[in-house]
Amino acid sequence: MGVVMPLNAETAQARTHQVVNEDSTDIALFVRSSQDDMLGWNRQRIVDALLRETFVDRDTAEKISKDIELTIQAGKVKTITGPLIREMVNAKLLEMGLEEARRMHTRLGVPLYDVDQLLVQHNKENANVPHGPEATNLTLAEGIKKEYALLHVFSPDVADAHLSGDLHLHDLGFIDRPYCSGQSLEYIKKFGLNLPHALSMAKPAKHAEVLLAHMVKFAASLQSHFAGAIGWDAINLFYAPYLEELDDNGVKQLAQMMIYEFSQQAVARGGQAIFSDVNIYWEVPKHFEDVPAIGPGGEYTGKTYREYEKQAQRFAWALFEVYKEGDAAGRPFFFPKPLVHITEKFFKTDGHMDFLHHICEVASVKGNTYFVFDRGDTAKISECCRLSFKLEASDLKDAKKPWKMRYSALQNVTINLPRLAFKAQGDDTRLFALLTEKIQLAAKAHGQKKKFIERLMSLGKGGPLSLLAMDLDGEPYLKLHKCSYLIGMVGLNELIRVHLGQELHDSDESIKFGLKVIAHMNIVCNKLAESMGMKFVLEQTPAESTAFRFAKLDLAHFNAEAEKVVQGNREKGEVYYSNSTLFNVGATMSPIARVEKEGLFHPLIEAGSITHIWLGEAQPDKEALATFVINVFKYTQNDQIAFSPEFTACLACGKTSRGLSETCPYCESRNVDGITRITGYFTKISSWNKGKLGELHDRYRNSDRFNN
Amino acid sequence: MTLFTTDDCVLCERLKKQFDLSAMEVQVEVLGNNDAGALAHLAWHGLVEKARKALPILVLDDSSALHEFGHIESHLLDRAARYGCGVAARRSGKQAGCESGSCALQ
Repeated sequence: MGVVMPLNAETAQARTHQVVNEDSTDIALFVRSSQDDMLGWNRQRIVDALLRETFVDRDTAEKISKDIELTIQAGKVKTITGPLIREMVNAKLLEMGLEEARRMHTRLGVPLYDVDQLLVQHNKENANVPHGPEATNLTLAEGIKKEYALLHVFSPDVADAHLSGDLHLHDLGFIDRPYCSGQSLEYIKKFGLNLPHALSMAKPAKHAEVLLAHMVKFAASLQSHFAGAIGWDAINLFYAPYLEELDDNGVKQLAQMMIYEFSQQAVARGGQAIFSDVNIYWEVPKHFEDVPAIGPGGEYTGKTYREYEKQAQRFAWALFEVYKEGDAAGRPFFFPKPLVHITEKFFKTDGHMDFLHHICEVASVKGNTYFVFDRGDTAKISECCRLSFKLEASDLKDAKKPWKMRYSALQNVTINLPRLAFKAQGDDTRLFALLTEKIQLAAKAHGQKKKFIERLMSLGKGGPLSLLAMDLDGEPYLKLHKCSYLIGMVGLNELIRVHLGQELHDSDESIKFGLKVIAHMNIVCNKLAESMGMKFVLEQTPAESTAFRFAKLDLAHFNAEAEKVVQGNREKGEVYYSNSTLFNVGATMSPIARVEKEGLFHPLIEAGSITHIWLGEAQPDKEALATFVINVFKYTQNDQIAFSPEFTACLACGKTSRGLSETCPYCESRNVDGITRITGYFTKISSWNKGKLGELHDRYRNSDRFNN
Repeated sequence: MTLFTTDDCVLCERLKKQFDLSAMEVQVEVLGNNDAGALAHLAWHGLVEKARKALPILVLDDSSALHEFGHIESHLLDRAARYGCGVAARRSGKQAGCESGSCALQ
């Protein structure tokens, strides 16, 4: 990374021109206020602010204002700004021991230097945010909201736990939104595009293309009200009543439009594509079989969804044809992520093997396919990097009116597991006590976020979350009482390494102890759920940046212990902990062993898990992958798997080649970028944070594992 | 051999009363809200989802598992005979099962 020159430094210097009368500040000093205004000096404003924002008494406020006035007079200040005065008042409050008043009087903002850096350098906290003016707006706004959250939403003990790296409170920059949302297309099929404060209202779509336009706009609206993923349930099934009028070419065209629309939506929030997931079924899920289908114009078609199986299958097939082709340069589409549910009924549905081969070919050629395993009677909607909402009895009742099916996780809090092992020093009792303590703290954080969102939601349709308060079906779009509260984990592998001296893949004892840690987390979550009346569930944290952040903080604060277990390249700063309960990404394991052993943890992690199989340059045949997928379904407990090939995209000739190379094999240009899965989605490697780059280097590629 | 049970499980209780499980070297794991070790042990055998449907589950020494109550009882009867352990008489007539749904991992 080169040195970044300050932007327009001379202009900035020139702007500080408001030199005041140095000898009579009481009269002539003008203050650059934060309201884009020049105000004459008036110490009463300090008094007013202190009385309005804090609990200090009037006499103290008066005294502080006079002291500040004297300081300004004595200091011969040339430029005085509102923020500077506030800092001076805060220093005075500290000096007087009024710490709580100082906290309440704090000004949120960003140092000039940081803004200067941000405008120029790419923020890689989230690889899905490209660099640009919208992205810097996003980062700056997020910066302020993060500070606000840590000062004003969360209690000091929770905020300190986050700042010190005991916990990670995800998406603090989106403190005023829930975490993610999974829903049904039926909502817009039935109610049209009827959003609060929209400039126009659209009736239910009469044609498939219009429905797609509604879906994309609704997804963009949802993106601006949720921090993370926007998932769609049984998308091919719910489109089916609109497809009868289309021939196969028309269906393919629609599939192409959907995938391009979502993958090219990098123009909205911070230039960030909508993190979108589409759940796909080859069969008609049992809970939708007898549901009356909604068709064009929001009218019931007179048929049930059971009768739309063939149309749904046509669309599913076409979607994967598009995924297989990739974009105009042959690159894999990053979004929407296709999640195919493999169920007992899947194997009883005609044509399933052809479809399985089809989606396995896509998995091999482009890597897009996610295989979600719903064994037994399990039904779920999946989204984000691995999050799943298991449908309970009440949800299956809602399935009779699918527009009511919408699920949200309100917040995600992740626990730094290796740090607990550092502190426990080999003592099991201490380790589990510390773990309990951190889960309790995470639950406390969830309670505080919930209270904050409830406050915003209570403002109803006139409030900031009006979209989530809309009640077209008789209840708010965000069903707060049904929200999940996610508790994640990072670095189980490193915890085991510290505590037992072995990694998860080294022995059965390591796995058994790892299971005990996660079982303990599961049990404590259940107990807290019961006592607090909130649905706490474990999720494998994607940890795109958290795995890096925890490792970096532990190297800084627990160096002696951390340097023995942190993964990656310390010299380059490319350090990380293993994601969630994943085994060491570099461990030499057969893919089936990895899937089976990692899968032992999955039933304990109710809100979703995944195992990644890194393919590198390998391109296994579809039959081998299909056999693999069937075996995973039948003989393991694994929740979800994805195969991840690697690509090199040439920015000079525009061609895409297999594997990661430093030069383009077609034109030999060095102007190339790599593409592969970062955590739960594909993206360009140039946008990855250092921790993930370290992980990429270490990944064990299953190059020859599927050949026999 | 391990018998996975839970508190308030009618069927589990019946087996515990019927057999001297410790004399038969059958480890009993009670899956409740406190024992992470028992839950981890269940997960190690890949039986969490099965236990959410029904308990008891008997895991044999070769790691295979029996889920049907009748099969479990029959296997334990054989084992009791091999170990020379007595078996308490079981009430005749229709055996009450878990109508309340409590015979499962919650």
